[in-house]
Amino acid sequence: MLTRRSFLKSGLAATSLFAAPSILKSAHAAAPVTFYGLKSLSGSFASYGKFAEMGSQLAVKDYGPLLGGAVKYVTIDTESNPGKAVRKVQEAMAQEGAALFQGCTLSSTALAVGKEVAKGGGVFMTPAGADEITGTECNASTFRWTVPTYGAIHETVRPLFEQNPKAKRWYTITPQYVFGEALLSAAKDLFQQLGIEHIGNSYHSTQEQEFSGYLTNAMAAQPDVLLILNFGGQASNCLRQAANFGLKQQMKVLLAWTAGLDWFQSLGPDLLEDVYMGAQYWHQVQTPMNIELVKRVKETYGISPNYPMAADYISTKVILDGVKAAGTADGRAVAKAMEGMTYEGPTGKETIRAADHQVIKDYYLLKGKAKSAMKDADDLATLISSGQSFPQGDKIACKMA
Amino acid sequence: MLNLYLFQILNGLGLGMIYFLIAVGLTIIFGLLNFVNFAHGAFFMLGAYLCYTLLQLTGAYWVALIAGPLIVAGFAWMVEKVLIRHCYHLPHTFHILITVGIALILQEGSILVWGPIGKSVPIPDMLQGVITFGKFAYPKYRLFLIMFSAVVGFVLWVLLERTRFGALVRAGSENPEMVSLLGADIYRLFSLTFALGVGLAGLAGVLSAPLRGAHPFMGPEVLGLAFVVVVIGGMGSFTGALVGGLIIGLVQSLMSTIWPQGASLMIYAAMAAVIFLRPYGLFGRA
Repeated sequence: MLTRRSFLKSGLAATSLFAAPSILKSAHAAAPVTFYGLKSLSGSFASYGKFAEMGSQLAVKDYGPLLGGAVKYVTIDTESNPGKAVRKVQEAMAQEGAALFQGCTLSSTALAVGKEVAKGGGVFMTPAGADEITGTECNASTFRWTVPTYGAIHETVRPLFEQNPKAKRWYTITPQYVFGEALLSAAKDLFQQLGIEHIGNSYHSTQEQEFSGYLTNAMAAQPDVLLILNFGGQASNCLRQAANFGLKQQMKVLLAWTAGLDWFQSLGPDLLEDVYMGAQYWHQVQTPMNIELVKRVKETYGISPNYPMAADYISTKVILDGVKAAGTADGRAVAKAMEGMTYEGPTGKETIRAADHQVIKDYYLLKGKAKSAMKDADDLATLISSGQSFPQGDKIACKMA
Repeated sequence: MLNLYLFQILNGLGLGMIYFLIAVGLTIIFGLLNFVNFAHGAFFMLGAYLCYTLLQLTGAYWVALIAGPLIVAGFAWMVEKVLIRHCYHLPHTFHILITVGIALILQEGSILVWGPIGKSVPIPDMLQGVITFGKFAYPKYRLFLIMFSAVVGFVLWVLLERTRFGALVRAGSENPEMVSLLGADIYRLFSLTFALGVGLAGLAGVLSAPLRGAHPFMGPEVLGLAFVVVVIGGMGSFTGALVGGLIIGLVQSLMSTIWPQGASLMIYAAMAAVIFLRPYGLFGRA
């Protein structure tokens, strides 16, 4: 018999059942997938951070809903400072339960943040340059999109030498810190393999901005090729002064690692003409995803995508793909889902190697165009070659715990 | 090998003259106004950016070379009137605080105006190319810089040592009340001196732009270098800035061959040696 009490009970249960989907939905809405972009929006790397931020924001916008809700994007300004970045990441993990991180242009910041995210069981993908990220300091949470120094040297020195087999005498200018040493070491090994004579090297400090003394050393050695192994502002001044001293007319000049389009724009075609440059990304590469990316970036920001923008766009998208594949925003599950993943990236088919979390992708050799040969303001270089070179087997330095 | 060292000496002298130009404005302001200007590097950066903009607008480097430092000096004259002159009587720590603030405003302002990416400034057409010495080549533009800096140095020396303006400024730095009682407008003198020192930073920025470009964070790099030159030469000494600049240029250039990785370090080692032997610098006074 249906009593008043049992009627009320049944009514409440039925109401709860009908209400369940909306309750579940609102639970999702209250806790959407929250994605943290770690960007150098102030400090000495602000010029990179600005474009990196644009890349991540666009990737989140393009991705649409995930796990039944909109992805929430939160920016953390790393201030180009490892200490401050780590503190902010710790706060985000402790107070907001943050687990999904992407960014850090500066290698020291990326290394420090990677360790912190691993401790908290999150996932982190970075475009930073230090080989240790997917080498000796690798961990289960950290992934890297950037080709390591080994690949940068192999995909620039080898094709340039193959095109100019008579250019056997090479001189190097190297910043004396981990990044420069890694490039130099890879270059020396390759010189030996190819029968190139390494006729000299000038080390310089990480603070150096005046290169005339080192360029004079290079002039005295009379090489066929000057290989410049520094980066960013130092590479700008080194190239500017090399051109000033007439070295471009005396020898071929190769910069193994450049920041790409925005760096090219800051130097202009007069300086870049006939200079060879290695790059992680080039907007003119005709891969399906890159054609789409160039179109989207031009529609949204009115410019061509550059390296920080493309790197942070694809790294953001890959983590979100990991969330989708894992069916959860739990950091460890997402990291597991990302291992071995193959996807369409801006450089073509890209694969995340499970052994060290290194993305296997193309690296490019470009050559600066003459101003008269440029089709538009961003057409600053010709693509000479592309390819993939990565340490294999026991040469992989990462020992994943 | 001997040729290489001879060429490094030539290169070092050239570098030294550039460093002199970078440091002389700082030493004038300190020596004559007893004011520590930590915004010197930021004014240098402003000069480099103005060079870029004026070149874009007019296409003439020579217009930038004249107008750039004048605009920087005019701006400094305004800053002095509004802010700096109220701080002369305060301890040096306040000078540092205020000028670091100005430097940060200029740095962030330059990002707003010119963007975070650096700009390149081409070498003027008539100074393009190199002069060859055997297997070595020296840029014509650097030769021009050496000569131009020498002329600027001579004109400055005449202005400060052989004119009524120089005498009044020197007297004002020793005893401002007395000079004021004798009928000279001491504040006007100080404004002009500050504008002159900062204008020289702007001039160095314009001249360095074709060698180093213009970017928002170049100020602190240049400030460090200027201080090293001034400390070696002696705070406030015009001759000291010249000798200090030449020493630093020679040390840096020669060490680039002898011990390349230590070239920058040796600049600071030279400064430490001078402080140890002569605490007030080579030409400084206690």
